[in-house]
Amino acid sequence: MAPATLDRKRKAVTRDALELSDVDSEAEFGDGLLEGILSQDEDSEEDTGDEEDSEGEEIDDIEELEALDSDEIPSENGDPETKQPNGDLTKGNGSSLVSKSLTIRHQLLDEEDDTPNYTVVEDANGGERYVYDEIDPVYDSDDSDAIIPTNTIGDIPLSFYDAYPHIGYDINGKRIMRPAKGEALDALLDSIDIPKGWTGLTDPATGKPLNLSQEELEILRRIQTNEVPEEGYDPYPATVEYFTGIEETMPLSAAPEPKRRFLPSKHEAKRVMKIVRAIREGRILPYKPPQEREEEEEEEKHYDIWQDEQPRPDHIMNIPAPKMPPPGYDLSYNPPPEYLPTKAEKQAWESVDPEDREKEYLPTAYDSLRKVPAYDKIINERFERSLDLYLAPRVRKNRLNIDPASLLPNLPRPEELKPFPTVCSTLFRGHEGRVRSLAIDPSGSWLASGGDDGTVRVWELLTGRQIWSAKIGDEEAVNTVRWRPGRDAVILSAAAGDDVYLLVPPIVDNETDVASREILDKGFGHATNAVQELTANGARKEPVAKWTRPGSRLEDEGVLIKITLRTTVKVITWHRRGDFFATVAPTAQKSAVAIHTLSKHLTQIPFRRLPGIAQTVQFHPSRPLFFVATQRTIRSYDLQKQLLVKIIQPGARWISSFDIHPGGDNLIVGSYDRRLLWHDLDLSTRPYKTMRFHSKAIRAVKYHKGGFPLFADASDDGSLQIFHGKVVSDLMENATIVPVKVLKGHKVKNALGVMDIDWHPREPWCVVLDPAVSIGSVSNGAPLTIAPFSVPNGFLRSEPGYPLQVDAVFTHGFDFIRQDPSGKHLRLDVSSVLKDKSGATITFKYTGVVAFTPEIGAVLGGAPDAKTTEFGQVATHVTFETGSDELRAMGEKIYVGTGRFVVEAGKPTVVEYKISEVVA
Amino acid sequence: MDEITVQSTGQGQVQVYFTTTSPDIELPEEKRQLRVPTSVRRYGLSQILNSESMLDTSAPIPFDFLINGTFLRTTLDEYLIAQGLSAETTLTLQYVRSLIPPLYEASFEHDDWVSCVDVLSASSIAGTWNGNEVSAGQERVLSGSYDGLLRIWNKSGQTIATSTSASGGGHTSSIKSAKFVSPTQIASSGLDRTIRVWKYAEAADGFSGELRPSLELYGHKGSIDSIDVHGPSHRVLSASSDGTVGLWTTQKSLAPAASSSLIMSAPIAKRRKLTTQTSTPQRGPLSLISSHTAPVTAAIFNPLDSTVAYSASQDHTIRTIDLTTSAVVDTRTTSHPLLSLTALPGISTQLLAAGTSARHITLLDPRISALSTQILTLRGHTNKIVSLSPDPESNYGLVSGSHDGTCRVWDLRSTRQGTKDEGGGLVGEAVYVVERETEKGGSRRPVAGEGIKVFGVAWDKEVGIVSGGEDKRVQINMGRGVTRADSS
Repeated sequence: MAPATLDRKRKAVTRDALELSDVDSEAEFGDGLLEGILSQDEDSEEDTGDEEDSEGEEIDDIEELEALDSDEIPSENGDPETKQPNGDLTKGNGSSLVSKSLTIRHQLLDEEDDTPNYTVVEDANGGERYVYDEIDPVYDSDDSDAIIPTNTIGDIPLSFYDAYPHIGYDINGKRIMRPAKGEALDALLDSIDIPKGWTGLTDPATGKPLNLSQEELEILRRIQTNEVPEEGYDPYPATVEYFTGIEETMPLSAAPEPKRRFLPSKHEAKRVMKIVRAIREGRILPYKPPQEREEEEEEEKHYDIWQDEQPRPDHIMNIPAPKMPPPGYDLSYNPPPEYLPTKAEKQAWESVDPEDREKEYLPTAYDSLRKVPAYDKIINERFERSLDLYLAPRVRKNRLNIDPASLLPNLPRPEELKPFPTVCSTLFRGHEGRVRSLAIDPSGSWLASGGDDGTVRVWELLTGRQIWSAKIGDEEAVNTVRWRPGRDAVILSAAAGDDVYLLVPPIVDNETDVASREILDKGFGHATNAVQELTANGARKEPVAKWTRPGSRLEDEGVLIKITLRTTVKVITWHRRGDFFATVAPTAQKSAVAIHTLSKHLTQIPFRRLPGIAQTVQFHPSRPLFFVATQRTIRSYDLQKQLLVKIIQPGARWISSFDIHPGGDNLIVGSYDRRLLWHDLDLSTRPYKTMRFHSKAIRAVKYHKGGFPLFADASDDGSLQIFHGKVVSDLMENATIVPVKVLKGHKVKNALGVMDIDWHPREPWCVVLDPAVSIGSVSNGAPLTIAPFSVPNGFLRSEPGYPLQVDAVFTHGFDFIRQDPSGKHLRLDVSSVLKDKSGATITFKYTGVVAFTPEIGAVLGGAPDAKTTEFGQVATHVTFETGSDELRAMGEKIYVGTGRFVVEAGKPTVVEYKISEVVA
Repeated sequence: MDEITVQSTGQGQVQVYFTTTSPDIELPEEKRQLRVPTSVRRYGLSQILNSESMLDTSAPIPFDFLINGTFLRTTLDEYLIAQGLSAETTLTLQYVRSLIPPLYEASFEHDDWVSCVDVLSASSIAGTWNGNEVSAGQERVLSGSYDGLLRIWNKSGQTIATSTSASGGGHTSSIKSAKFVSPTQIASSGLDRTIRVWKYAEAADGFSGELRPSLELYGHKGSIDSIDVHGPSHRVLSASSDGTVGLWTTQKSLAPAASSSLIMSAPIAKRRKLTTQTSTPQRGPLSLISSHTAPVTAAIFNPLDSTVAYSASQDHTIRTIDLTTSAVVDTRTTSHPLLSLTALPGISTQLLAAGTSARHITLLDPRISALSTQILTLRGHTNKIVSLSPDPESNYGLVSGSHDGTCRVWDLRSTRQGTKDEGGGLVGEAVYVVERETEKGGSRRPVAGEGIKVFGVAWDKEVGIVSGGEDKRVQINMGRGVTRADSS
């Protein structure tokens, strides 16, 4: 039966085959439902086939399933092979009715071909009813995938029919009855053991649970695995070798092998001879050799656009054929001498890289052609070519070949920037205790200094001879000394404690001495005549400062005026004209900055409120500007207009000092956080250059004011650095800053290094301050030496038994010790690098706190009675960083340390730490 | 000639050619060429020269040999190898009388730093002017000190005279410079901005003397760092840190009156209570020449022409001053601040040596026609050079005193081409270094010559090299024949 249906199916496409099916259906019309279904089956099968063809692989599995669903539904009631699930089909009268109507349609359809596409039937009331033909979905009808709605309730939930025995209406308006649902118990049982093929879905059309049969599942599986859905289909059947190849032991025929099997075929010989003859006669040509064919195939077609080039007038659209330049004289084997390169040209050509050469050759002269040597680059060129072919790339990739030296800024050599100070030439010894401040007088002959011993001393700059000294502070240290600018008088100002003193040291001739005294005394009249300010309640306002005579003892020594302020004065700055000077007393809140007028003996407080603790002040060297440095910013005020001009933000945490370039447009700032910053006042409020070359705080910075482009900074690490800082008047050009010299040799005592610095007014000599007894040195003229920072021999060793074994020595590092404002604790900040025995480099950092006990103070101060301290007064938090695999764990663990100072006679003080891992 | 060469056969030999600049020890023309063994040193060569066949000197003269401007200190062989010369070249050996190291002789102790020294002897300048007679053994050493006192010593270290203190008409502050004008007159200057002229009278026995102030000269507004004197014309030249050069006379009658404002006026006088009992006459300058822009550190008379003076200053210049018109004739600019100056009379009559703060000595030709400013640079000191004195016997010798605590003896004949770092030009190096006797034992010199700075140096034929400094001592080193051996 199966092959027959297959045949029919194929033929059904053609018109002629209709007869057959017609006959069938006609004959079996009255037999029953099954036959009708067959014809339907044909359609549906066509549909499925069509679907498979058209949609094929484009639809994914789910759509396939839906498509199957839609196909199964109409075929459900008729498919002979899926009868089993439709066991209850016969029960549903609704369904059978549909089938019936369908069969009716067929009958009518077949009866007349030319009649209108409807029939008139009698309806239930006996009236006429037009029954239209079903539209035959031909092969390429596009509604093949449309679901034939059997239930016409539309897109409303089925639950609307819950109260009714039916679930909707079919196309003919007949009720579709609710399918006989299994009892609740059955449903429960069904849900408990899920039968094979259970989908959990309810057939929306029938309302029955939608189950898949074993066959259907098998078909799905096959479709999913990309097999032919049909069962038992073997796409690769084995060939059955009938009568060939195998010599059978029991042949079907006992006849001997026919003779023809052994004789060459005469017919074939005839045909061969025919070809041979044709070849001989040349009618058949042999194959072209395969190489040639390949070449022919690959050959690209090139068009010579200039092949029939005619001379044309010059036009933008006309590109004339390129021409090779004719060989010049320089290509000659014996070019005229003017074409021969000079020695310099030759050298230049040779120094240029071969890629960058303008010409690939150098014109060379030979006496005769026979002396011309062979082309020397032939091997090179061949090699390059081979390389090219071998390595395929069309582009030569140039490795980025940068000389590391070229990345460094192009700075002039320090030797070219001479003169600058290079050697210590004079030590000034004599102060007892720390020296705090120094200044060179405007003539450049004298050096003034002030220190903890309360004395102001004047020295002969060249020889280092102390010329004069006066004790102005009884207990207080002399914090600052400054000369009054100007050559007309010699006046020295010094601050000790709350008092500022004005002195005329007896180092000058009579005339100058008299002039200086006159300048100082002139203001007494003003001060007495001045109307004293009254406060709001009418009381006499307390003057900010008192200008008095210091008493006969000091007057005899040359100390002429004493200005008493309310707080300790730390800084004195003179205005260039010598009539004004400003003082800074950082501890005073409101009156931190005071400006004094010498000619009127007047003290004024320009700022009622300051935005921070004032550190130092400066007058601008040419304009009426006044710079005030607080801890973090420098503000410049216009003294005439009395307004804030600029806020400079060096970005330092604590400014220690600053100085203004004599040109007035640049500024250097030194800070306690080791930074030296160069500001261009025209450029920005941010630093133009930041230099961090010191390992400790910078105490003082100073420009050379006598025409040399030099500046220097003094640091607590005991060194000072001399820079060449050239400022050009051209606005477009930035200042060039070159470090030229590091001057060392100062001893660091109590963590204080070089305290102050001043330049000679004319010569490249600077004077610096050592906190120790001796002060400073005049330095001058030799090459740059920068020595690396080194650390004495320290080590880090693991206790025996600790899993991480370390035995490392310090390679370098530095220690920051900062005192708390309370003075009770010292803060440590250490960063150093260790080298382990295994070769690993370990970064060793710790921060810590030291309880500043008297014992520790003795150790740090280097007191002779210092003793080894106990563990426990130094607590640190230690971190390690290392790239070594074995020791990496160190970086992940948490360590704390406790330390002590070990003092042994005759040895340097050692700090010993016990470092422990935090376990829990 | 042949006999000598025969002595050392089997050794390598080299042709040498002896030359000299001293006519008294010149070899006859035919003897100058000689073949000598390459293994000889200076001593051997000296022996050869002194031998009968050569110079035939009665007493052997020690010789030193200069090849190409450097003293031969090795064997000839080693020299040839070091210079990469073949033994077949002819070496030109210039022989000079051998130098004798300036050996230490004596030290005179002071109370304070010694700022300057001067010598009076039969051959010193002051001793030769106007036919002054200083007999042998009567040499005197003058020292000025930072305590404001002048001291006169005899050669055996006894103080013959000390100047009066400030109350007695002496300097009220440190003395910076002092010179003998004549055996009976001394001029001194100092930080008190005055020049004082002293009358020096010696007792007959020569073991005591008296220094009396005879004249106070006012006019400078800054300390007077250096003075020079010219005895025959009674002139004193001063260099002051106020930037002026002063010309003064020691003759009371010729000197103009001093400006009253500069003489001690009320406030200071009262304070110091310095109204002097002895009323020393006070006079002013003949002229003050203010051409320098920075402190003048030295002023000297041209030794051959007392109407011409030279001044050196921290403004890097050396100026030639015509004293008759008090006009600056010529200015020579160097590259460093100059701190000391001396004239070398021997070489082409006009050669100035100036010590700089940059630790070298610059030699200049001050003649207007001279093209190059700098002829020679003497390098070796490690600190400022503050004092210079020429060799009284040689045209080529020079001694310098520096803040590095040494005096160095230079021979201008020993030169080499300077390296690029030194700025090229001819460079000379010290022949001898005279250390301070107080610090000699120390392993290394203190930083910046602290405590041993030399402030003044003088070189006299009879006395030797006299130097004074921060170690509060006047030190005398043998100076005879250091750069020129005695020909007798």
